[in-house]
Amino acid sequence: MRERFATGFDPFVLPFLIGMVFVLGYCFFGIFRILYQLPKDDRRRFLVSLITPRTALKNVWDIFCNCLLHVKLWKRNKLLGFMHSSIAFGWFMIILLGHLEVFIYCPERVHLFYYPIFFNYFVAENESTIGGAVLFFLMDFFLLLILTGIGLAIVKRVRSRFFGMRRTTRPSLLDRVGLYSLWAIFPLRLLAESFTAHISGGSFLTIPANWVFRQFLGNDLNLLPTWWAYSIVLGVFMVVLPFTRYMHIPAEMMLIPMRNAGLRIRHPRKGFAKVQVLSCPGCGVCIDACPMSAQKVNIKDCTVYLNRQIRRGNEKRIEEISDKCLLCGKCEAVCQVGVEGPRMRVAQRSARRYGLTPDFAAIDTAPLSRAASAAFSGAAGATGAAGAAGAAAGAAGVAGAAGAAGASGASGVAGAAGGAGVAAGAAGVAGAAGAAGAAGAAGAAAAGVAGASKVAFFSGCMTRLTPSVGKAVCSLLDKAGADYVWLDREEGLCCGRPLLTAGRIDAAISLIRKNEEVILGSGADTLVLSCPICYKMFSERYALPGVRVVSYADYFDEFVQQGRLRFEKSDICYVYHDPCELGRGCGIYESPRRLLGQAAGIAEAEKNREESVCCGGSLGSLTLDFAHREVITRKSLENLYSSRADAIATACPLCLSTFRRYSDRPVRDLAEILDASCRL
Amino acid sequence: MENKNVLVIGGGIAGMEAARRLLQLGCEPVIVEQSDHLGGHVAGWHKLFPDMMSAPELVEQMAAGLDGVTVYYRTRVANMNRLGSGYSVMLSNGMSLQCGAVLISTGFRLFDASKKEEYGYGVYDHVVTNSDLEAWFGGAPDDRIPDSPARVAFVHCVGSRDLKAGNPQCSKVCCMTAIKQAIEMKEKFPSAEVWCFYMDLRLFGKKYEDFYIAAQRDHGIHFVRGRVSEVSEDIHGHVVLKAEDTLAGTPVKLNADLLVLMAGMLCNDDTQGLARMVHADVDSDGFMRSRDNIYRINESNRPGIFFAGACTGTKTVPETVAEARAAALDIYNYLNGRD
Amino acid sequence: MEGIDFGFGLSKSSSVQLDKVDLTLYRRLEALEPGVRVCMACGSCTSTCTAGPWSGMSVRKVILNLQRGKDVGRMLSCCMLCGKCTMVCPRGINTRHLILSLCRIYEKV
Repeated sequence: MRERFATGFDPFVLPFLIGMVFVLGYCFFGIFRILYQLPKDDRRRFLVSLITPRTALKNVWDIFCNCLLHVKLWKRNKLLGFMHSSIAFGWFMIILLGHLEVFIYCPERVHLFYYPIFFNYFVAENESTIGGAVLFFLMDFFLLLILTGIGLAIVKRVRSRFFGMRRTTRPSLLDRVGLYSLWAIFPLRLLAESFTAHISGGSFLTIPANWVFRQFLGNDLNLLPTWWAYSIVLGVFMVVLPFTRYMHIPAEMMLIPMRNAGLRIRHPRKGFAKVQVLSCPGCGVCIDACPMSAQKVNIKDCTVYLNRQIRRGNEKRIEEISDKCLLCGKCEAVCQVGVEGPRMRVAQRSARRYGLTPDFAAIDTAPLSRAASAAFSGAAGATGAAGAAGAAAGAAGVAGAAGAAGASGASGVAGAAGGAGVAAGAAGVAGAAGAAGAAGAAGAAAAGVAGASKVAFFSGCMTRLTPSVGKAVCSLLDKAGADYVWLDREEGLCCGRPLLTAGRIDAAISLIRKNEEVILGSGADTLVLSCPICYKMFSERYALPGVRVVSYADYFDEFVQQGRLRFEKSDICYVYHDPCELGRGCGIYESPRRLLGQAAGIAEAEKNREESVCCGGSLGSLTLDFAHREVITRKSLENLYSSRADAIATACPLCLSTFRRYSDRPVRDLAEILDASCRL
Repeated sequence: MENKNVLVIGGGIAGMEAARRLLQLGCEPVIVEQSDHLGGHVAGWHKLFPDMMSAPELVEQMAAGLDGVTVYYRTRVANMNRLGSGYSVMLSNGMSLQCGAVLISTGFRLFDASKKEEYGYGVYDHVVTNSDLEAWFGGAPDDRIPDSPARVAFVHCVGSRDLKAGNPQCSKVCCMTAIKQAIEMKEKFPSAEVWCFYMDLRLFGKKYEDFYIAAQRDHGIHFVRGRVSEVSEDIHGHVVLKAEDTLAGTPVKLNADLLVLMAGMLCNDDTQGLARMVHADVDSDGFMRSRDNIYRINESNRPGIFFAGACTGTKTVPETVAEARAAALDIYNYLNGRD
Repeated sequence: MEGIDFGFGLSKSSSVQLDKVDLTLYRRLEALEPGVRVCMACGSCTSTCTAGPWSGMSVRKVILNLQRGKDVGRMLSCCMLCGKCTMVCPRGINTRHLILSLCRIYEKV
């Protein structure tokens, strides 16, 4: 063990040193800037999460799994996973082992940045010692690992199909500089270490290479230039790093803790959004995933290009890309880093300025909720009278279900709900009314007991255009003996999701408040939704204390378990299409399949569940026109046809009408299928 | 005439009339019909405007002139190739034909009204199409039609002038059919109120306007300019129509006992396949492409392939009959080497 | 003629002088959403409109009023962007984009 130079310095380390200082400086500055950009409560939340043991451990684990091992990539494609993890993990290990070497053999040099990197130049170690042999073996082993990865990376550039990718991004000029310098780093390191292997030691890779070189290169003059070259490419790589997609390496280490802290995008460009943009490795997995890439004109509108354009500040393209997206969420589902493509786009949309903003304050929701509350079976047989009685009771201040539900603004109207039940019950209009009235009086207390709950069925705007769905849901509710009311049978309000996804968040919130009034006022304790767009909105954004929000798939699934619904299996085999909002949006994949499996045969499409292909009808897109959507729909249908099923099943009115337009085989909503095969 | 055989694809009124005329001209027409009867859509119709002629009688009359014409029922063209100056044809029943010319008279397909699902055809109890109604007029029972409807609504342009339904073109005959059927309904149920929801009334033919005037003056039929966009069903089973009265500028609702959808005319599903066999062109609307739409409507871009009737676009009955006669003459001249 | 009292007032004519209509807003909308040109005024959008019962919203009227140089702000103020009008439009007009674009460029006429 000896140091070759008493100074411990050689000018060739300078390019590396400059690069290192630059990139570290850049990253530290960046971290502080992003922290500064975060809203106050978010910043606090983030910093607290860093020192909370549970999240801190999760951060370390996630960073290890995602940044180094690339676990998600392995799941997608083994070769792709191996390529990335061999480079990332190998490089990490080389750096780690380098530091270990310095720490073991010359701890006084620990403060020098470059020592672990160029250890073999500065320190002559003997591989005959056990420590040296093991360390040198490991160093060569990981170097070999990285070189294999680089080799694969070069193959991938030429033939991306081997890696399960049909299309990949076109790197920009700087990306190319970064890419080629990255490719050059490790062969040069091998060369440099090989040239010094007879002086400083080596292992199975470097020693034979050294022997080969010494056969025709007798002197050591070429030793220094290779170390210079090694240092230069390292320096170049680090200097260009912040301006290339390789910025994702440091950025992802920031993204993971921020995500674990539960942060959301609050500004279209700053803070968390900025980290997301920088974390995009530009791998292009989202290109193949994007349903719009069915057409060449739309290929440059997927998330990887959004991130690129945001980095370039190309406002015109940012707007185009943001507005065109269907918000189906597939890019996010396949993204290795977890860039939230749809949320990023909504954030861009929300930054628009409008000359006119909708205002729903003037809408009077009382008639809607009054009509609904009067229709519950407490008021059976006396709809008109009970409505009036209910209104009177409400005015008198009778606190019915509303008190328990804890409704605030709408409590007067909600009082009418409970009141109506009692009034009708006391009047003894029908035989059953007494019992039902009692149930009404019990109010929300009985909410948990099946059969006693008051169910509001909200069909949403889209279901009005697919009347078969609404009819089937009602029929099933009837068959299961539920006490329900079709809340928006005559008139209703939109759930607000279209406004939200269009980025008109304030307007959406004001609409949400109005709907809350209607639902709380109806006195219902369960809200069943047939449209997944509404369901996502109601379950995520609504404040409905005492009201259970449930999709019809989950609800009927429970009925089956309780034995309230039974089906006779038909011979028809359906392929189930996961609607974006129900599947990726709300994570409901299994209950529709369970139900469908009871009522009919079931097959799976090539791409299903998280990878289901958007039908193309999504309201998420603001600008996609009818003709472009048709191509997407046909592509999505092709995926469903791949199952060779007789017919297509889905659980979203929008998917239903979109598919029906072009499908050459029957398309039916889950509710229709269930209703047709329901056995009383 | 080298080869007097003429293959007539489709035994609707166009095919029948052309075959009859070809027979008169000394040719030997062979009709290939996919169903089990001649007359196509018209055979299932009750009465034809503007003279309220009985459609089955018309078909019967036309069929009477077909003595000596070979008709293959429940048969399709399996394959067709150019052979010498004519065509070699393989039929789905295994027969093989050599013919000097081919007349394509495959007609049209009625729009499947259940595709406009917002109208509830097949979902609600009292929704029928124009062709259902004609069948009922002709005596076929139909549970969907109430015994004494108080209000009957006709919706025009169902599957016509509608990009979303896959047919941006006007089907030409539905306006007049709606008025005819509205009058017939009113005659059957004098106390019923009859409403027609239209986008534009396109009444272009002889006596059509007279029908319109009669519908207004003599039968008190209501006309609303607005396209129905939604139909729901109330608890009593009535259909509830929502539309905008665009002339008054107000949204309107109508509770009706019966809703009649005026399903439009679309190109046949097998148009593409047939066209591909003989390398004929298909137009952007999916119908066959004539050499031009003014002077050579009967001619295709291929020698010996002729068109008659609604296979090139929506046609009325008289137009189809006239075209069939013209096609017969064209074919006769073609077979005799005259242009 | 001025100054003569006929004993009754002449109210301002409600007719639109078509050649003098200010079409600035309509032209700007046309550039953002060319689909506005193919409206055939069938009224499907209006009858299906979720906001219609609350505000008298009518995409058909909005387009027509713009073409006649009239104000449309009141109608637009209740649009929920629910997308039903886009779904039913027989001419395939992207009415949601039309409304959003109009809200962006909106200035009171």
